Amino acid sequence: MAIAINKGLSLAHDIYEDRGRRVRELRKAGRKTIGYICLYPPVEIITALGMVPFRIFGNMSEPITLADQVSTTVVCPFLRSIIDLGMKGKFDFLDGVVGAHTCDIGAGIIIQWRDYVKDTPFTHLIDVPHTDHPPAVEYFAGQLNSFKRHLEEHAGQKLTDDKLKKAVELHNTQRRLVRQLYDLRKPDPPLLTSAENLEVMVALFSLPVEEGNDLLEDVIKQVSERSDRPGRKKARLLVWGPVFDNTSLFKLIESAGASVVVDDTCVGTRAFWADVKAPYDLQALAQRYLVDIKCPRTYRQAEPAETRRDYDKDLDSRFNYIRKAVVDWNVNGAVLQSVKYCDTHGYEVPNLRHYLDTLGIPSIYIEHDYSERSLAPIKTRVEAFVETLG
Amino acid sequence: MSETAAPTKTEQKRAINRLKSMYPLRNLVQQDYIDTLQASSEGKPTVWSMLNYWEGDLPLKAMGLNIVYPENYSTLLASTGTAEPFLDASDSDGFPTHMCGYGRSTIGYSYRMMKELGGKIPPEAPVGGMAKPTLLLGSGIICDARFKWFQALGRYFDAPQWCLEMPMMPTFEGSEPDLEEYQVKFLTREVKAFIEFLEKLLQKKMDWARLEELIDLAVRIHETTWQISELRQSVPGPMHSTDFWSSMPPSLFFAGDMKVALKLYQDMLSEVQDRVNNKVAAINYPEKYRIVFAELPPWHSLKFFDSLAEKGWNFVYESYGYHAPKPPDLNKTSDPCEKLARLARNFIFNIHEHARADNISNPLVEQYLRIARGFKVDGFFLHPLISCRAASAGLRSVQEFMLRKLDVPTLWVEGDIIDKRVFNPQETLARAEAFEQTMDHYRKVRQSKGLGW
Repeated sequence: MAIAINKGLSLAHDIYEDRGRRVRELRKAGRKTIGYICLYPPVEIITALGMVPFRIFGNMSEPITLADQVSTTVVCPFLRSIIDLGMKGKFDFLDGVVGAHTCDIGAGIIIQWRDYVKDTPFTHLIDVPHTDHPPAVEYFAGQLNSFKRHLEEHAGQKLTDDKLKKAVELHNTQRRLVRQLYDLRKPDPPLLTSAENLEVMVALFSLPVEEGNDLLEDVIKQVSERSDRPGRKKARLLVWGPVFDNTSLFKLIESAGASVVVDDTCVGTRAFWADVKAPYDLQALAQRYLVDIKCPRTYRQAEPAETRRDYDKDLDSRFNYIRKAVVDWNVNGAVLQSVKYCDTHGYEVPNLRHYLDTLGIPSIYIEHDYSERSLAPIKTRVEAFVETLG
Repeated sequence: MSETAAPTKTEQKRAINRLKSMYPLRNLVQQDYIDTLQASSEGKPTVWSMLNYWEGDLPLKAMGLNIVYPENYSTLLASTGTAEPFLDASDSDGFPTHMCGYGRSTIGYSYRMMKELGGKIPPEAPVGGMAKPTLLLGSGIICDARFKWFQALGRYFDAPQWCLEMPMMPTFEGSEPDLEEYQVKFLTREVKAFIEFLEKLLQKKMDWARLEELIDLAVRIHETTWQISELRQSVPGPMHSTDFWSSMPPSLFFAGDMKVALKLYQDMLSEVQDRVNNKVAAINYPEKYRIVFAELPPWHSLKFFDSLAEKGWNFVYESYGYHAPKPPDLNKTSDPCEKLARLARNFIFNIHEHARADNISNPLVEQYLRIARGFKVDGFFLHPLISCRAASAGLRSVQEFMLRKLDVPTLWVEGDIIDKRVFNPQETLARAEAFEQTMDHYRKVRQSKGLGW
């Protein structure tokens, strides 16, 4: 009897359930592992230096216990969960951690890591400017150079142009494959569920890029040929917001009679939509990360230094990628979700809802504290919302 | 001492021994609101600005613009008990309730002005209100809300916006030798871009000579306030935190006429020096405990500090984020944009440099350890805020380091800058009584360890 090789969605599910498994194996085999928080540390530099990038998430199922000794409860519970897990030794397979000033609390998490999560040989914080002004992009490229130099010391090798180019090509390939995977949710019904999709995304953040690309190719082939497709639902939704790394919310929405067909979150499209453009140098990385990633943490305007401001034009300049997603994925409703105490997303909510109104897309805003238990009260609201989309 | 109003009889009875020189400084900010209303009524441009640590204040002033600071105005809303309806208005327009109290009250004010009153100032607004802005100046320093909430105000105002940049100095990454010049270069370019934007917006050229004059005044103001801060290390503490908060706007965002402000701060320096020479305390009771307040105060309940003063609690220092550090030497450059870059960057750089030297990751912790030693502090009053991440996130670390490194205990009192419903003065007073025993205990511990106070 042939032994079944675990691949495709099954492999993604297994990695989702035990994210550190493959990274621990690789570390045992001599590879260095570098954890990173949020989207802004450039994984290409880590990959190019022969290390394994591993995106650090919290754990919505595990109560925060130790972190409350070192952090107030009125800050982002996702980041508190990360520190909590770190203090409990759950990231002991990492040789280093990289953070970025994606938000003020996000920047502070590296400071807390240094003080309270012991035995991480390498830590680095990248300063990310608040705007996409041209001097800011140049400054950010300098920050990436600083990170590169620091990581080179840790790696014991220099980053050559050729190594960086190869790494960028691998990660751009991954981004292209992810976009192909998302295309499979354009049909009605979609070919895979949002929970399955999220498991693949989380797996990608837990594997070396080459293995992630293999996984994606397998998943795309498997899903394209599958006979057990999800059923047609009455609503096709877009989910927006900051990090959501757990399938529970997607399962909750889909159990309410809707399909989540596309997202704008940093575990989904936001992480993969923009490629690094040639010539694949640090300036190109700065452009990709600071300008092309559409996260509310960066201040953008319709026109640089505009002396007249038009509200609708401003909204369209900031959110027109969502309009495109609404059209391309045939969306008829949106769920705006945010973890509590997220300032960068919170201030967007009424304006984004207004923008969606102008597109004729009804929306709902839900807030949670990054725990599975906090989702239970949301269920009724989501069900009522889906009902209205009839 | 000169041109300072004599305290009234009511004030003489107060537990806190207010500085006479504080009152005219406090009044300067109110004049800004009045002037801005006048300018607006004459059709002149007016600015709503975030605190920006001097990077943007001085170009605005040099261009002759009238400025108000919604963060400051929110403290007025809180202290006059008029904030709650504006908070409710923000909530009703769909903004999450856990956002910054300053932001929510400004959003609610804007909603009321533009959606309910057709652009008129809400009649219930204290000190005549804030005039409708023709420019919104956000800032990336200290917290994300500073640019996100102004961006969100586009919902109510079609005023153009600008977001000032400020590098965030990671403590250890900041040790790279070329970092300072690289950051100064970035900030200088940003300041130039901002000035070009102002020139385009206002259709007039920057008055560079005026800007130079204002930079010079700024440095002299900060040198003076820094000297006042240094004097406050004296025992008994000569200046109470409430006096600092009342008098800080002309230093923190250059409220009022800067020449007048400089003279008034010089008066304050003289008065504080007199108190130090004569061992006059900032409270009218024997100083039993020297306390530091971190970080932002409950603006709605400042009278609460009288009750603590009656118990001999002297708040000798406070709110590091409100203090201008000793200004840098700006004579190295003749470029006013670079001078502004260096002046603004110094606020952040200064604290990280100290932290790095002490091998401490968190600059807030290092700053307060230094203050605890220098000011011979018996305890910290930590005030985590329900609506402010930036001023609350590091306080657990302050608490933990303070006890572990210096045997200085902390009183943890949850509250808010704006929303008085989450602050319980009676319960806090009861806890303060118990905390006195804790401070007594640790005073003995420190003495037994030879810590010096």
